[in-house]
Amino acid sequence: MPRSSTVECGGCPPFRALSFDVLGLIKVIEARGGQQGNTPKIVERWGEPDASRCIVAVSINDRQNNPLVAVGRKNGEIELLSATNGDRRAAVIAEGGAIASMHLFKKEQSELSSRSCTLLTCTINGKAMLRSIEITNSSSDSNSTDDPSTTWNVCSAGTILCSSVDGNEKYALFGGKGVELNMWDLEKRDKNWSAKSPPKNNLDIFTPTWFTSAAFLDKDDHRKVVVGTNSHQVRLYDISAQRRPVISVDFRESPIKAVIGDLDGNTIYFGTGSGDLASVDMRTGKILGCFVGKCSGSIRSIVRHPEFPVIASCGLDGYLRVWDLKSRDLLSAVFLKQQLTNVVLDTNFSGEEPTSAAANSSPNDANAVMENQDEEDTLGPVKRKKSSKDNKQSKKHRKSKKKLEEEDDD
Amino acid sequence: MGFKRKRNDKEGDDDAGEEVREVSHTVKKSHVLPSSIKNKDQRSAVYAKIKQEKKRDKIKKTRARDAAEKKALELGEELPPKKVPRTIENTRELDETVCKPDDEELFAGHDADEFSSIIKRDSIPKILITTCRFNSTRGPAFISELLSVIPNAHYFKRGTYDLKKIVEYANNKDFTSIVVVHTNRREPDALVIIALPEGPTAHFKLSKLVLRKDIKGHGNPTGHTPELILNNFTTRLGNRVGRMIHSLFPQNPNFKGRRVVTFHNQRDFIFFRHHRYIFEQKETKQSDTKGKKVKEAKDEKSTFKGKTIARLQECGPRFTLKLRSLQHGTFDTKGGEYEWVHKAEMDTSRRRFFL
Repeated sequence: MPRSSTVECGGCPPFRALSFDVLGLIKVIEARGGQQGNTPKIVERWGEPDASRCIVAVSINDRQNNPLVAVGRKNGEIELLSATNGDRRAAVIAEGGAIASMHLFKKEQSELSSRSCTLLTCTINGKAMLRSIEITNSSSDSNSTDDPSTTWNVCSAGTILCSSVDGNEKYALFGGKGVELNMWDLEKRDKNWSAKSPPKNNLDIFTPTWFTSAAFLDKDDHRKVVVGTNSHQVRLYDISAQRRPVISVDFRESPIKAVIGDLDGNTIYFGTGSGDLASVDMRTGKILGCFVGKCSGSIRSIVRHPEFPVIASCGLDGYLRVWDLKSRDLLSAVFLKQQLTNVVLDTNFSGEEPTSAAANSSPNDANAVMENQDEEDTLGPVKRKKSSKDNKQSKKHRKSKKKLEEEDDD
Repeated sequence: MGFKRKRNDKEGDDDAGEEVREVSHTVKKSHVLPSSIKNKDQRSAVYAKIKQEKKRDKIKKTRARDAAEKKALELGEELPPKKVPRTIENTRELDETVCKPDDEELFAGHDADEFSSIIKRDSIPKILITTCRFNSTRGPAFISELLSVIPNAHYFKRGTYDLKKIVEYANNKDFTSIVVVHTNRREPDALVIIALPEGPTAHFKLSKLVLRKDIKGHGNPTGHTPELILNNFTTRLGNRVGRMIHSLFPQNPNFKGRRVVTFHNQRDFIFFRHHRYIFEQKETKQSDTKGKKVKEAKDEKSTFKGKTIARLQECGPRFTLKLRSLQHGTFDTKGGEYEWVHKAEMDTSRRRFFL
């Protein structure tokens, strides 16, 4: 008898992810917490399929109220969308080449009101630009004003492929094909560090510079940087130590396409061009293990959930996959039809909102969702769960507080 | 096993009225496997008995089925449903990537992909065929036949050029695809198809190659543009591969040539066949073949007149392809991104197919 090929879903924690694909569509995937309803499903689709609006770069600001997603498209358009309902808040046309990467600032600058936000974009030929975009609340018209923005050149030649901004949003990192990794102070706008290519190997062969992905190892520490190169290497740079990599790890034979650091500041996760996903402990440079799960297409983007031990990856095979970090098992896979370019997680999603009955009804059915929302008040167990979770969290908090206190005592 | 159990049930029903001892005896006897009997005479006797019974049962079944059919025909009722045998294909594992006909994203994706300009007839396919660096015996023969199959194909000697250089050259000369035939031990064993200028690169394993001269009663193809048949490319990946093959051939088949090129996908193997077909009047065929029965044929002629049959003549080559990988962008082994690679861990079941 045929076995069904659906992956066994081993209790996916509640999450809400947005996926971005080559046809310019944004799809919202939600997994509800609970015993039955934890299979992730496509809830919404924003936008119409149009190849010229292929999404190339994405950044999310997942604050509590009014979360925003910045979307850079192939035709040079930059859009600011609401992460909750997909309303277009603002749009700008970017000049000067295709967008390589972008970052939406999370901290709000004092002189700017909450109605505007700051965006760092970088084009593939190295033009970085800080701009503030005013948000119009009405979704229909988007008369955004391009405030005096600051532009500078990151590199003179080569193409920028990756960039990253550290947790405090003071430093930005750029690298690419033929561009050595360099770090910029965003306030002073000057280059405070640049990498040096590793020496020739014992056969006197020099591998050309080609960075494909970059990330800060720790959120609060801007000094340690992890990058992935096209020559299947993962390197750790310490800007306080030296200009050459501290550790470099070789992994199989296809280029590293996505790198992300874990919360603990040691472990990193990276994906390759042939669909392998692995984790490495960056203190020792040892590979902790691979994530095995029939992943057949190049991995383009990985995100780490800030609370639960899961990561989500997406890539050219059109699947969004959710992995457990401890067992390195595949929790679930959602087929999203197109080649995906990016994925982001909306971390404010709690999963308790609709009831467990939502699992039975089709998520696209708006009426069903409405009904569920009505039923929401009547159902007990979900609420209980929430309270228990809260307890857990509070316990954690207490623990951490205790620790802090102890440390203080010491 | 299932059959045996049935027989036991029957026997049990028949012997129900008789003594308990006998019943237990017969049941016990039928449980004995012939292979467990050590005496050869006894064993063969038991085995023959079982076999005979099986045969009888089968005949009975077919008779009953035929009778039911006949009865239904006479009464003008609906015929009893024909049983479809279970095959690996129709018990295929459920696959969510199978394309659905009402999927607007699929068609939008098709409009946007690399092959759409050829398939919409905006540009004419122009193919560059080359080989691996060492090429002899069956390789050149296969290429000469490929040249006769694919219209507007040009063979270029490989020399010592890098494939990346060839891609560059072909881009400058406005080729739309490159086909590389790889030979190992003088036997073609792989096929790389690169869509230009930026299209995907498919890497196929090539096996079971039969050249034209080895096909019995083969025909020689004409210069007409062939018709193309693509079978069973159902999933997203299959669609993409199918469209890639589609873009190798011109989109205006010359039906006068009666030439068909078939790519048939079955269990992830793509079978290539090249035929010429012909329509024949049945009456002429009868008069040719049945020299003796001309009289009978004359009577039948009036009824069969005007009925035509199609005949096929194979005009090689004949080969089988299996997809190994589909790469995003043109050929690049070191820095390439894959859209799909076959990995050992994906072979979890023999009923799981990707195309």
